[in-house]
Formats: sequence, structure tokens, C-alpha cells
Amino acid sequence: MQKKTTPDANPADSALVRLLLVDDEAALRDPLATYLERQGFAVAQAGNAAEARNQVENEAFDLVLLDIMMPGEDGLSLCRHLSETRAMPVILLTARGEATDRIVGLEIGADDYVVKPFEPRELVARIRSVLRRANKSPGDGATDEVFQFEGWRLDPLKRRLTDPEGAVVAISSAEFRLLMAFLENPRRVLDRDRLLDMVQGREAHLFDRAVDNQVSRLRRKIEVDSRNPQLIQTVWGGGYMLAADVRRVATQADGAA
Amino acid sequence: MTLPRGLARLWPRRLGTQMMLVMALALLMAQAVSALLLWRAEMERQHDITSHQIAFRLVASAHLPMRAEPGGPQPDHPDAGWGHGGPPPPSLLHPGALPMLGPVPENFDHGPLARPQAAFAPIPGDIEVPSAEKAIRAILAEQAVPVAAFHIYRRDPAHDPDFQRRLATRNAIYHGHPFPRPDHVLVAALQVAPNGPWLVTHVGVPPNDPRLLATLIGQTLLIYVVLVAAMALIVRRISRPLAALTGRVNRFGAQGFAARDVVGQIQPAGPQDLRLLIEAHNAMERRIIALLDEKDVMLGAIGHDLKTPLTTLRVRIESVEDADERRRMAHTIDDIARSLDDMLSLARVGRPSDPIEVTELLSLVSSVVEEFEDLGAPVEMGDSGRVALPLRPTWLRRALRNLIGNAVRYGDSARVSVTREEIPATGRGVPQRWAVIRIDDVGPGIAAGDIDRMMEPFTRGEPSRNSETGGAGLGLTLARAIAEQHGGTLVLANRGDGPSGLTATLRLPIP
Repeated sequence: MQKKTTPDANPADSALVRLLLVDDEAALRDPLATYLERQGFAVAQAGNAAEARNQVENEAFDLVLLDIMMPGEDGLSLCRHLSETRAMPVILLTARGEATDRIVGLEIGADDYVVKPFEPRELVARIRSVLRRANKSPGDGATDEVFQFEGWRLDPLKRRLTDPEGAVVAISSAEFRLLMAFLENPRRVLDRDRLLDMVQGREAHLFDRAVDNQVSRLRRKIEVDSRNPQLIQTVWGGGYMLAADVRRVATQADGAA
Repeated sequence: MTLPRGLARLWPRRLGTQMMLVMALALLMAQAVSALLLWRAEMERQHDITSHQIAFRLVASAHLPMRAEPGGPQPDHPDAGWGHGGPPPPSLLHPGALPMLGPVPENFDHGPLARPQAAFAPIPGDIEVPSAEKAIRAILAEQAVPVAAFHIYRRDPAHDPDFQRRLATRNAIYHGHPFPRPDHVLVAALQVAPNGPWLVTHVGVPPNDPRLLATLIGQTLLIYVVLVAAMALIVRRISRPLAALTGRVNRFGAQGFAARDVVGQIQPAGPQDLRLLIEAHNAMERRIIALLDEKDVMLGAIGHDLKTPLTTLRVRIESVEDADERRRMAHTIDDIARSLDDMLSLARVGRPSDPIEVTELLSLVSSVVEEFEDLGAPVEMGDSGRVALPLRPTWLRRALRNLIGNAVRYGDSARVSVTREEIPATGRGVPQRWAVIRIDDVGPGIAAGDIDRMMEPFTRGEPSRNSETGGAGLGLTLARAIAEQHGGTLVLANRGDGPSGLTATLRLPIP
């Protein structure tokens, strides 16, 4: 039942993946590029935003790794440019860990971010996760719609879940993707394998644990009584089902984006 | 200034009322003194008038030829040898003639003069008045009237036959129209020559004018009203900008220096002294904000400049062949990064840049607990309830990570619960509601005397364990600072008497 994903086990499937690494620190850029190349990626480097703009003009990259703090034009501004002009996934590299970067980074079109100093393996896992999502359903997790169910509201763009009283409910990335899977298939039974497949994300190692564990965590956050769940129901022999009607509301019309 | 308790309670606290009260008291005292002086001057004037009146009559009577006072019988001196018609009787001082004045015209009315009497004796109830006697004797001496004997008595008008006679005359003339009744009558008797006749005069002394007091009170009130109005204007000019400044200082302080601009600064107003104070305060605010901005820039630079080489190092150790060695190097780098994070956070905790959001606390705590679960740490959730309150999620997560991390590290395992607590209103206070996060471990706890010290920066638990745990010893300091950033508290306490574990209680106010 458990699927193990080993991020850097088979470099072969990344052979064609082209990355652009943008960071003003050559001391970091060089060893990181070397490391990523050893993981099977093709890596181009840029030392500043202008250089990066040039490179994306001439070449199509599968993903851009972007340092936020750079002299001259900073990473956020470049990220906005990239997300507006090309459909290139972006992972931000940031030295700051405060929430502003998080929200701003995701709102301006970054697909993910890592906080320095990051573990190189973690970075690779995230690169694969972003690529997988980008390939599977373009725009997944970045739609303009918000989901509403039983008074709850999920804004996929900001990954923000609010309860019927309007309070923000903290959910992890795995729980977010699990919830998205349910919201996209309301009142349909989803078996464990299907859920695992839909949900596998950057924290793939978390899914060493059973899907059941993630479901129970999600229940703890959105059920009134997690021992007697109403929203996410267990279907005997089958899996789980979201027992709620889901409305998709365009954020423009909603006005609260 | 210390006052007795009863008085202290009455003493107003605000500048305006204090000034009004002090001014009223001062004015009252000044008016009382001036009223006393006025009253004394008035009394003296009254005495002078009376003395001069008496002296005038005596002197005039001594100089003028003897004649009867016009009108009315004179029962108390039937033997006085003077009357109308015939040659004027000789004066007491100049028998035979009045060389300067010539004969007194027939119709000349000398007014009420002193009447000569053969004998004079006070009646019972008469009181001697030495002050008047002294004053009149002085005048008589000045006027060269010889004094053989002189007496002056104060007498009740009801017992004075002269006054009663005049009263009757007046009543006859004015047909009972009331005329002011004197307070008392002064009876003066002068004997010019020894064994000569007595010149006796009766003078009514009017009562003290009651209007004097009313005038004084009215005057005081009028001055007070005018002064209070003027003072109120001044006080307003002072106290309004002062109140505005106080409010601003409070708000600026309450922001915990989180202010990022000078929005809401007050405009200098009021007297020059206050304007200068407000301008100085505004300048100070700007300097504080500039200083904090500078600090933020510096911290950002430190963070960036140290984290980038750390990242480089972290990438480079991936090429180390020995997996065990690589693991240890990675661990060290993680320790440095964590300490750096704690230090930067502690420096920024008073000036967070991320917004406050209404957040469901149980989900937040659960997600932190789950992070530990995923790492295989023995952490579990206890009985908890949902509670939503405004908070800064990133900061609170950091505090929880530090507290749960400590519990796991020093206390072997952690049990975390989220509950609601209501403290009913006591006295004037409003009821307080708290969200309470409890983190219980089953470790040895902390020696009671060390609990406070543990909250200090760069303090760590048992030294023997430190080699494995690392960290800069900022975890608890930061957790407490974050609790305070949210207006809450963090309390560490041993459970029970023995070493049955430590409880960290993080309380956050629910508005």
C-alpha cells in the first residue's frame, strides 16, 4: 500500500530537465550547480537579474531557481516578470524565513521556496515535486478560483484555509494537496492508492506513513469532532469521501482575493 | 506632596481641576485678608467719624453761647439758664462775647449740640469706651478745650432717654417712617472747668453695614469667575496638547516600537514650551524609527551574508565520501543555522513585519506537533478544543517548536494541549479570556531556583547534555518574547513535588 519515492535514486528521468540557477553569490552558485548536475539536471547559471532575463529570452528552461536578495533587480521582481511572460516554474531561494516572503513569493507566481541554508536533497525533492505538478496539471495550485464547502473556504493560490468563522486554519502542504484532491472530487469515493497518487508532493517522504494518517490529521483540523467525522467520511473497503457540496468561486467575483 | 488619605482622595488628579482648586483657595485667602483689612478700615473710619462728631459737638458747645437745643422739652436739665430771645448767654469759654463771629443770628440752628448739665452720672449698663475717650481727648487738646473731666459710655439706645426723645420727635415728623435704629449710643460728658457744668452729648452709632459682607462675597465670586474663565482658556491650551502627547507616547510605546513610519504623530500646539516638547518628542520618534530601520537592514544583511556561505558549505559537504562524517557536518551546520535564526528572530521579535491573522490555534499547534511526529519524536496531543484568535502564525510556530523541542530534548516526551480559560471579572476589571497551550514533559524538571534563570538568553539546561543538543540557549527567551509579542505569558513550572515533569504554559489573550 505504501509507495516509497526516492528523490535522487534515478537521475535518468531528469536527464532532459533544464534548470536556470540565478544567484549573485558565485561561491554558492558553482557548487550548487555541480551538485544539481550530479543529480542529473542540466544547469545554466546567471549572476544577476539582467543576465537571467537574457538567458530566458534565448532558451526555454523547465524551472528557475531564484535567489531573492540580489543587488540590482531583486528576485521577487524577476519572478513576477517570469510568471507574467513565460510559463516557467520558479522556486525561490531565500535567506529570510518570515511569512511575508512566503505569501509574497507564492502570490507573485513562485511555485515554491526554500529557506537558506537548505539541504541539497530537500531542494532536489522540491524541484521534482514542482516539475511533477507542472507537468501533470498546468496551473494546479495556482488557479484563480477559491473552493467553498460547508462555510469553509480554501484559496489554492495562497494555500489559505479559513473556517466558517473566518479564522485561518493551519494546514501542511500534504494536507493542502489532500484537501484539494477531495475538493476536486466531492462526493466521490477516493481509494487510498488514488489519493496517494494525487497527493504525492514534495514531502513525498511523509507518505511513508499511510494515507490514513494524513486523513486523520486533516480531520483533526477541519472536523468539529474528529472522532465522529462528518466532512471526510470513511467508506468501508473503499477509501474516503468528502461529504459536502463544493462551490468554486472566481476570486475576482469573490472580491476577497 | 503627601496628603492624609481622606484629603488625598479629594485632591483632583488632573492639571485643570488642580489649578482651579488651588486658584479658588488662594483667591479665597486673598479675599479674606483684604476683607479683614477693609472691615478694619471701615471700623476705624466709623470710629473716627463718631469721635469727630462727638468732639465737634463738645468743642462747638464749649465755644458757643449757651442756648437751648431747639425743639422739645429738656427734662434732664431744667436748670440750664439758656433759651430763645434776649441777649445770647455767654459762652463757656468766652464769657460775654464772640468777637470773631459777632452775634449769632436768631434763626441759626446749631444742630444737635452738647447740652450743659449741672451733673452727670452714668446709668446702669453703661460701658466705658477707653479707645474713644483717648481719641476725643486728643481732639479736644488740639482744639484747646480745657478738660477738667471727661467720660464716654456706650449705652443701649433703649435705655437712653435722649435717644428715646429724638425717636419720638422723628416719628412725629416722618409719621412713623422707619429710620435706622442705631446699634448703640455713645454718651460723652465733658466738664470744662472743675465743678462747672457738664456738656453732655448723645451720638447714635449705626450698626455695621451688613452689605459690606455681601459686597465682599459678591466681589470675590466675580473675580473668581473671571479668573476661572481666563485660566480655563490657558489650561485648555496646555492640557489638550499634553493629553494628545500622552496618548501618542502610549500608542508609540504600545506598538512595541513596531512603528515603521511616523503616521499619527501629533502636530505641535499650545504654548511655546509645549510646542518645543512635542517637536522634541516627534524628533525622538523619528530617530527611534530610523534606528530600528537601520537595525532591520543590518539584521537582514547579517542573515543573508551568513546564510549564503552556510548554504554553500551545506552543498559542498555532499561531496564528502564518509556518510557518517557528512552527517555530523550537516548536523553542525544545522546547529549554526538554528542559532543564527534564533538570534535574528530575537532581535526582530519586537518589530515583526508579518501581519496578524485570526487563526485557529488547535490546527496551528497540531501542525507543529505533526512536524515532530514526522521526525519520529515522542510528541502527542492531549485533550484540546478549537479556539480562534488573532496571532502571528510564523512567530507562534517558532515559539511552539522551541518549547516542544525542549520538552522532547530534556523531558523525554511531550504532551501538548490547547484549552480555553475564562477568568471572571474581578472588581473593575473585565473578564479575561485566554487560549492556553500546555506542554507537559516527563523529565526531571528544573530546580525551582533555576526556572527564572532558564528564561535568560544564552542559558542552557544540564551542561552534560549540551554536546548533543546544541543551540545558543535562546529557545526559551525567544518563546517568552513571542508570548509577550502577542500580549501573553509563558510560565515554566515543575509538576507536583518530585521530579514528575515540567509544564510550560503559554497563555495568549483572546480579545
